Amino acid sequence: MNVSKLLVAGVAFSMSAGAFAAGAHGGGHGASSGEPGKASEVARTITVEMYDNYYEPEEITVKPGETVRFVVENKGSLVHEFNIGTPAMHESHQKEMMMMVEHGVIQGGKLNHDMMNMDMGNGHSMKHDDPNSVLLEPGQSKEVVWKFSDKGNIEFACNVPGHYQSGMYGDVNFE
Amino acid sequence: MQGLVKASQPNSNEVQLGIKQMKIRLLTGLLTLLMPAMVMAGEYGLTVDRVKIDTGDFVKEGIGYNGASPGPVMRFKEGENVKINVTNNLDEMTSIHWHGLILPFDQDGVPGISFPGIKPGETFTYEFPIQQAGTYWFHSHSGFQEPDGAYGAIVIEPEGREPFRYDREYVVQLTDKHPHSGDRIMRNLKMMPDYYNREQQTVGEFFSDVSENGLMNTVRDRMAWGDMRMMKADVEDLQGFTGLINGKGPDQNWTGIFEPGERIRLRFINSSAMTYFDIRIPGLDMTVVQADGNNVQPVSVDEFRIGVAETYDVIVRPKDEQAYTIFAESMGRSGYARATLAPEEGMEAAVPKLREAARLTMADMGGMPGMDHGSMAGMDHGNMDMGSSEGVSGMDHSNMGSMDHSNMKGMDHSNMKGMDHSDMSGMDHGSMVMGKEGPSDPFYAKGSGLVPTAANGGKFLSYADLKAQDPLYEDREPTREIELRLTGNMERYTWSINGVKYEDADPIRLKYGERVRFKFVNETMMTHPMHLHGMWSILDVGAGQWNPIKHTVSVNPGTTVYMETEVDEPGQWAFHCHLSYHAAAGMFRKVIVEGGPESTQAKTEVIAEDGGEV
Amino acid sequence: MSRIRSLVAVSFLASIGFSTTVTAQEMISDTTARKQPLTTWGVQFEEFEYRYSDDDEELGVWNADAFYGTDELKVRLLTTGEYEIEEQAYETLENQLVGQIPISKFFDAKAGVRFDTPEGPDRTYALLGIAGLAPQWFEVDANLYVSKDGDSSAEIDAEYELLFTNYWILSATLDATVAFSEDEEIGVGKGLVSTETGLRLSYDLIDRAFSPYVGVVHERKYGDTADLAKAEGGGTEDWFAVIGARIAF
Repeated sequence: MNVSKLLVAGVAFSMSAGAFAAGAHGGGHGASSGEPGKASEVARTITVEMYDNYYEPEEITVKPGETVRFVVENKGSLVHEFNIGTPAMHESHQKEMMMMVEHGVIQGGKLNHDMMNMDMGNGHSMKHDDPNSVLLEPGQSKEVVWKFSDKGNIEFACNVPGHYQSGMYGDVNFE
Repeated sequence: MQGLVKASQPNSNEVQLGIKQMKIRLLTGLLTLLMPAMVMAGEYGLTVDRVKIDTGDFVKEGIGYNGASPGPVMRFKEGENVKINVTNNLDEMTSIHWHGLILPFDQDGVPGISFPGIKPGETFTYEFPIQQAGTYWFHSHSGFQEPDGAYGAIVIEPEGREPFRYDREYVVQLTDKHPHSGDRIMRNLKMMPDYYNREQQTVGEFFSDVSENGLMNTVRDRMAWGDMRMMKADVEDLQGFTGLINGKGPDQNWTGIFEPGERIRLRFINSSAMTYFDIRIPGLDMTVVQADGNNVQPVSVDEFRIGVAETYDVIVRPKDEQAYTIFAESMGRSGYARATLAPEEGMEAAVPKLREAARLTMADMGGMPGMDHGSMAGMDHGNMDMGSSEGVSGMDHSNMGSMDHSNMKGMDHSNMKGMDHSDMSGMDHGSMVMGKEGPSDPFYAKGSGLVPTAANGGKFLSYADLKAQDPLYEDREPTREIELRLTGNMERYTWSINGVKYEDADPIRLKYGERVRFKFVNETMMTHPMHLHGMWSILDVGAGQWNPIKHTVSVNPGTTVYMETEVDEPGQWAFHCHLSYHAAAGMFRKVIVEGGPESTQAKTEVIAEDGGEV
Repeated sequence: MSRIRSLVAVSFLASIGFSTTVTAQEMISDTTARKQPLTTWGVQFEEFEYRYSDDDEELGVWNADAFYGTDELKVRLLTTGEYEIEEQAYETLENQLVGQIPISKFFDAKAGVRFDTPEGPDRTYALLGIAGLAPQWFEVDANLYVSKDGDSSAEIDAEYELLFTNYWILSATLDATVAFSEDEEIGVGKGLVSTETGLRLSYDLIDRAFSPYVGVVHERKYGDTADLAKAEGGGTEDWFAVIGARIAF
């Protein structure tokens, strides 16, 4: 259910269908990263600091089914993302992020909010408003409440072009 | 054996420590924690030796360090003071220049500029603080010792953590080893500038051009070039080399071991005398994280071009249990270096074939003064790519410098002059534009024959992609601009700056504390990697405060490139084209930084007559 | 990886001491070779060959030069000769010693002396000339000679190379001499004296240092010079098959 929701969000987010590697989110062995959590079910809070270009901490441990509130702080001087997903999800999201850079939405240490909200036609925009992620300018802090489902290969990652590849991701371990 | 050979005798500090050494070490450790002013000191030894170099294709006499060429990887730590004892076992003068390191000028190792040089049999002790981190290299600055083999790598570990992650690292040091000695090469080039050029246009190429572009166009093309007495094939002066990686030829196949899934940091260093390499690892994305030792905002590429003396650090993540070829093709396609990344020794992957030889176009001649483009109008047919004046001005980064990305709001690209906007919306990656006129890159003349493309059709790194990860300097207006025209005459094999060879030139005088904007105008048909010693070159890629800092800036034919320098190191420094035979032929300058902190000011007023020999 | 790092407390004092050493240094002026004009040298045999003529004449022929100098001034020694193998005599033997300076982007001016010491009368000339690369890749060498007795002549040499491949090279040469006055003793008549045209196909065997070739050479005398030759009982036109090598050191 959440997979299809993500898929819809992804398509809306993506300017062209081609940029969205078809079915990447739902692919594999039914792996998913979980679903948006309810604030009332939050069991604990984890603070994740984002630097240029790495996280602190670089791994977290959760229980299957646990709902975690992530307080994400961008302490670097570049725009960073905190995104919970499988490696395949991150890979397809990176294409979208590349487009955001090419269209000037992400400009090094700044986000161009006008550009993000701009109507790209067909009701699409480059808003970055998926529930599994936040995109932060330097100094910003936001929360993500996430309910982890099954065990799986889940990472939290920054998909700003080049950041994931240079190592800006962390592992989610399941107890 | 990549390890560092330490000086055998303990340093004096250790002797003094004596029995109490352990206690004091504990205390030192404690103090280090407490006082940031505490620094470590490392003592290192290097001998300069005659060595044998075996490329797999030929064996030759050369010069090396600690008995081998390349020399050892020197591993330093940011914040330490290093002491390096260099013993000259040659029967001629020598020197070591620490390429890219920020240090007091008298430790920079350029005979006649930093110090007199190291005499045969003598040991010279370099001493300087390590104030930076990253990948650099060292080499002799005397005669042609560097092309003869006198080079090695420097790896400096940062004080803090790196802004990227990797599980293992390898130095990948390239060179263009030639069977001839440096002296011989210089003499041959002076005698016949095309001595080593075996990619010249032939009768066969004439006929294949005729069938492609028609007889008249081909004849006109040949006549236009013949009239200039310039060769389209003049991309690499020195061919006939064997490309080496870490001292190993293609057949000797240097191999780096990995475990699938690991992240590997490859520290590419181009220690060639003359050769630019286009590097790719078929099957792997490379994420560029450093250029010239400085962290850049990571950019993933399929291929990149490394200029002579440049360094690029990339991260790769081979996931499969298979071998990958590191393929470094020379810019002119006359030779290559090859190495392998593999899960175990002995595994290899396919070695790609060399691509077709590069050919210059009229656009690459765009910087030549007195070139009458008008008379050649109408020649824009077939393989004749005309460098229109528009294309040349498109390289004017003074326009680009003021380019505010916010102007791109609403996709209105119309106010970005000199760039090819029509193709930008379809632009796949960063700066690389594949339009109807072929590939383009703002750091190449429009229509240049040298614009690189990735072998797999993917992303090729451009200077325009390099953005500082953490700018070292605050962005500010330069105090003045200095124009340096890169000049030369291929037929005489003379190379110069502003038409003046080093032997006839006055030094460039800078004032401590100023920020100088250098304007390089390449009026030759060759690419020149310009290297300023001692101070960073802030390359203007149009990214304002995010402009990357480098030590070597490659200037392509027919282009104008700007770089700025914060003049923050007193003393005198070398500034030259890093192609060995261009530097020796006169494309070289001395830079004097006047003024500076009081302690150093006194010495800038003394010009001693003791110059030293090469 | 047995790097032993000595942790030493180099404190403020030490680092001050460090910078004082630096301060003690003085700035030097560059007297290295790099700051001197680059001197270079070279020796080339453009032709070094055996010629066999259509009337069974056998010749050993060379055309060589050696230079030493800088971009601004070179001293050049040129030597060319034809040795008649059967008669064991030099048909021609010409040596030039010239100074050479650049006068334009592609051309040098030359001035010097020329000594001819073949079998028969010797000659000494003063010479002025230019040499360089003309548009469309013609190597040109043109000289004006004035003998001790005041006889003057001009000679022009041109060469063009056609690359069949980057190793198989066909070179076409033309050498023409014009005399402005007669020098009967050495068989030179006024006007166009002679031409030598050659076609040589070479292969670069060792770099550009040793390139063997085969070819044909056509020599012809004209006008008064031809008449003088006929009067002597000699021919006015020769075809040669040649085999030899281009050599460079």
